[in-house]
Amino acid sequence: MIDAITAELFRNAVIAIGDEMALTIYRAAYSGVLKNIMDYSTAVCDARGRLVAQGLSLPGHLCSIPIALQSCLRHFGDDIHDGDVLTMNDPYDGGMHLPDIFVFRPIFADGVVVAWAATICHHTDVGGRVPGSNASDSTEIYAEGLRIPPLKLHERGVPNATLLRMIERNVRLPGRVMGDLRAQLAACEIAARGMGDLVSRHGVDGVRALMDETMDHSERLARHCLAELPDGEASFTDWIDDDQIDAGVPIKLVCTVRKQGSHMVLDWTGSAPQVKGAINNTFSYTAAASFTAAKCVMSINMPNNDGVFRCIEVIAPPGTITNGVLPAACAARGLTGFRVADCAFGALAKLYPDRVFAASDGGNTGITIGGYDSERRPFIYVDFLSGAWGARPWADGLDGNTNMFANMASFSVEVIEAENPLEVLDYEMLPDTGGPGKFRGGVSLRRTWRMLAEEGVLQVRADRRTHLPYGLQGGGPGTPSRNLLGREGEEELVPAKLTMTLRAGEMFRHELPGAGGWGSPLDRDPIAVAKDIRDGLVTIAGAARDYGVVATGGTIDEGATRELRDRLRAERGPAPDVAWRPLHEATP
Amino acid sequence: MSLRIGIDIGGTFTDLVAIAADGSLRTHKTPSTPADYSIGIDTGLRALLHGDEVAAVLHATTVGSNTILQGVGARTALITTRGFRDVLEIRDLRMPRLYDMGWTKPPPLVERALRLEVAEKTRPDGGIAAALDPASVAAAIRRLIAERVESVAICLLHSYANPRHEQVVAAALRAALPGVAISVSHEILPEIKEYPRTSTTVVNAYIQPALRAYLTALNARLKDNGIFAGLQLMQSNGGLTSAPLAAEFPARIVESGPAAGVVGGAVLARRLDLKRLVTLDMGGTTAKAGLVENGEVLRAEAMEVGAGVMAGARLLVGAGYMLKLPAIDLAEVGAGGGSICALDAAGAPKVGPASAGADPGPVCYQRGGTASTITDCNLALGYLDPAGLAGGTLALDRDAAWAAIETQLARPLNLGVEQAAHGMLQLASATMMRAIRAVSVERGRDVREFTMLAFGGNGPLFAAGIAAELGIAEVIVPPMPGLFSAFGLLLADTEHHATRSLRMRLDAPDRGLLDGAIVSLRDSAENRLEQEGFPPDRRAFALSALARYVGQSSELSVSLPEGLDVAAALPEAFAEEHARTYGFRAPTGEPVELIALSIIGRGLPDTPRLPDRIPPVAAPVPEGRHAWFPGTGWTYTPVLDRAALARGPWVGPVIVQEYDATCLVPPGAGVRLDGFGNIVISR
Repeated sequence: MIDAITAELFRNAVIAIGDEMALTIYRAAYSGVLKNIMDYSTAVCDARGRLVAQGLSLPGHLCSIPIALQSCLRHFGDDIHDGDVLTMNDPYDGGMHLPDIFVFRPIFADGVVVAWAATICHHTDVGGRVPGSNASDSTEIYAEGLRIPPLKLHERGVPNATLLRMIERNVRLPGRVMGDLRAQLAACEIAARGMGDLVSRHGVDGVRALMDETMDHSERLARHCLAELPDGEASFTDWIDDDQIDAGVPIKLVCTVRKQGSHMVLDWTGSAPQVKGAINNTFSYTAAASFTAAKCVMSINMPNNDGVFRCIEVIAPPGTITNGVLPAACAARGLTGFRVADCAFGALAKLYPDRVFAASDGGNTGITIGGYDSERRPFIYVDFLSGAWGARPWADGLDGNTNMFANMASFSVEVIEAENPLEVLDYEMLPDTGGPGKFRGGVSLRRTWRMLAEEGVLQVRADRRTHLPYGLQGGGPGTPSRNLLGREGEEELVPAKLTMTLRAGEMFRHELPGAGGWGSPLDRDPIAVAKDIRDGLVTIAGAARDYGVVATGGTIDEGATRELRDRLRAERGPAPDVAWRPLHEATP
Repeated sequence: MSLRIGIDIGGTFTDLVAIAADGSLRTHKTPSTPADYSIGIDTGLRALLHGDEVAAVLHATTVGSNTILQGVGARTALITTRGFRDVLEIRDLRMPRLYDMGWTKPPPLVERALRLEVAEKTRPDGGIAAALDPASVAAAIRRLIAERVESVAICLLHSYANPRHEQVVAAALRAALPGVAISVSHEILPEIKEYPRTSTTVVNAYIQPALRAYLTALNARLKDNGIFAGLQLMQSNGGLTSAPLAAEFPARIVESGPAAGVVGGAVLARRLDLKRLVTLDMGGTTAKAGLVENGEVLRAEAMEVGAGVMAGARLLVGAGYMLKLPAIDLAEVGAGGGSICALDAAGAPKVGPASAGADPGPVCYQRGGTASTITDCNLALGYLDPAGLAGGTLALDRDAAWAAIETQLARPLNLGVEQAAHGMLQLASATMMRAIRAVSVERGRDVREFTMLAFGGNGPLFAAGIAAELGIAEVIVPPMPGLFSAFGLLLADTEHHATRSLRMRLDAPDRGLLDGAIVSLRDSAENRLEQEGFPPDRRAFALSALARYVGQSSELSVSLPEGLDVAAALPEAFAEEHARTYGFRAPTGEPVELIALSIIGRGLPDTPRLPDRIPPVAAPVPEGRHAWFPGTGWTYTPVLDRAALARGPWVGPVIVQEYDATCLVPPGAGVRLDGFGNIVISR
């Protein structure tokens, strides 16, 4: 029998170990990807590979660790010894995508495995046909880089020189990759020390029982939250514009949420078959996005562990874009993860309209510009832009904030200019881009680059050009993403996903999608519209067209506003629950 | 007799400590007066002074952070490079909370309509890509006048490399807008990265008028009390600065209160020759941990104002307003005397971060508080005097505390009241241990090698228990633990910090450039100290470097002893620091890169600031009472005042009861009074 105080003290301690592991990687890592984008996670698992505590809960990594660790346990069975360290990255053997390398270390006490230290880091490069190993136009995994099955990185304390040399020879930046692997090992060491202290206090059996209780506690909280929600079933369909290979062919995602009592199912049956482009999800990535959406409708943010996963079931049929099978390419599946989250939110919004926001910006846009500067030194600039949250049933969407399914930082403009032959011309919000609504969607951000070197290669992975971020409950959608290329004043619209040459003096501009609105814009408080006009986020023309608000200068004409709103209400008729096209287009 | 006075304003109380040349001390505690804090100070001074001459007033204030927290700063505008007015609002995009659709960013301190742009562009190398367009400056000035702006921040791209455009804009504004406060980014933070620089400059602008008004009012109050000595303010970095410089750069004094206690700890550590000290400052709502190594406080390069307490994971940033200025590295957690003890939806016990504060306060205050708190638990177990706090001036109701714990915690948890109350104290301790680990273990330090210094109203109650859990052998409770921050002010030095970006690979150093940068940094620190009236023989300097392995994306700070050949010695010094912090060093030959140089210029006092001994003050205390400990249950426990400890050594259980704090010595621990006047608890 474990008393409640001891259990809570243990829970604190084991979560603190996960956090200390995360901080160790953050501080010791070489790569900027890890620091800026926080694209890594740490965890403590029990001997069966179940997640007990996750350190830094990067949403995209929720539940990836137990799936990968359990795959390793199947491979090695009893062949696990003190001093071993396991590694792997194969998406078709429990991994995520090739840049995500897992490192696991068993923690022994009294001659048995009592727990596992687990880390996953997105590495700068794992070889393959493009720098960074994340091209969206590869068509099979064999082009994407080094595929590591579950293997021993250390065997009984001795580093596996063969494997380390194989990795070193197959990546473009071996110093950085090896440095980041060392950071992962350092984090595992921190966990081994911390768990050792807990074992000396509670004994092996005590720690096992307390880990069980830690998971059971999260399960009780999750079940409590789910039981609070009404039962029901709802389906939602969302789209990815295309996969860049079959340009212009939309890719369908279907999510059905079934909630009964304290159990929830997110079922992706009906989604499109896997595609040629490198945007196929592994099951674990679809599950991570599904869990993220489900957690957002729960009233308590309980510690992430196996207890939560017990109450939420994810079904993703193999061979679909939500669960690719060999030889599907998957390096750039980030896009699909974001859209899976959007689609899951859409289904949840049907069941729980007062708890879920309209569509956000659709996830980040990936931009890479690489080439050689005037002194023939190579440069490569990789950036991810994101910024707008969908409007919420109780408040506007956030402007200039990372997407819910990521927690990424933006790059400093001054650092971009100092380190690359690029000039950044602007980084700002755009008016009339947030989906109109009683609560406005977040606005679009744009960033413009000018090439200062002779030439370079520009790669862009954007979406939400044809399928806009949807609005809810009468709110309008956000604006589409746009890419513009050319000399100033003669820019041309170019595709959302592209690989092109950028020449000296030419500029490239990306505009992110605006996010969806919530509730009828004709119900928006005119004072809020006036504030947006003052701040330059809504134009006077936009206020009239989208909100039926008549403003002259800085002041609202109340009479004219009432008249215009009445007219628009009559003309537009009842607003759709889910809006995919601008509301004013429906006006005759 | 001539006095030096330390004044620390907290949320509830204003603490004053005065020290005379002979080392004798006077203290006074008076309620804070948030509408005009100088009123509370005035009250305190009148109680403390009896026509004495005052040599110095040293002050820590929360006016800066309160102005931000309450959103009552100046009507502020920002002038920036065309195309970049949203840098302030976009921040670095990241959010501090995950899976929370209710997350809302702190509103920008300058609304978008007042973020004005001028046409210009400086290159990263300092060259001019586009000349400053005077028409755009004139248009901005017209707008500032029309909007009746009170304070302006100027932050143009790459001004750290060439401040020319910022200087021209600032001169034009000063000429056109007399009486409007102007904050210029290259003067406040001449470092690359536009968001931290913009945010820091804007914070400075936002609080500057309020700070100026406060300092003016305070100076008047001091004169009323016959005090004409220079007023000095504690900076977030732990050094003092003069009032005029504080008024010019108020961003530097935003977190001045918590800094003072740690600085006091550092001075005490030097006196006691303690190489490694961890400080625990526990008050009514939060607890803060800091680190002192070799007599130096550990600093962080940046902080967030108004972010609230950390959730445990210090990686999740963005809850507050970013200040990229050196600050004493404090880990703050939501555990204090007022922290509420409750059960979560699954029946698990939790302590904090919600707090009953001072009003309504704990159940035992009988001021309307109904939720059990940490103070109620301490009272129920007999650790606090049922006759009341502060010498009985604050009465406590032990029965009410007992009843609340019984119904809210013990019965649902199926535990006895004693076990439940003690469990809550353990949970609060666990939360504080996370703060201590955050500043020690997470920086590669073995906390078992440290001594703990405990202060704040509640620190001495918990210190011995926490130290035992962490494997810390010795705990020191300084004199006046409840007023230790004000005491720390008396011990601080004047300090000026300056940093300069300088990127250079040390496998191919440009020695001329490096030496030039060191000389110019040193000159700037010399000038500041000169301004503050320190002659050359009373100046000391500490140089440090930010460095990393080539390819790494974050840096470590490495201190560089005077006279060192920096280019030659830094790579090895860096590798040592790397090994200490992360447990490994890169293979030999891995090149090291310098990123920036920093200097701290220190003005040294003409006389020692710490007296040889602080005689313990006798206080009326009961002889003893029953207190509950795990293992021994209810145990008769002697209650002593600090003076009585000198008759020791004693073995716990012992309770040392003082006017401003109560110190708990658990069964089996030893306790004595050292030569300085500290309580020393050892295992």
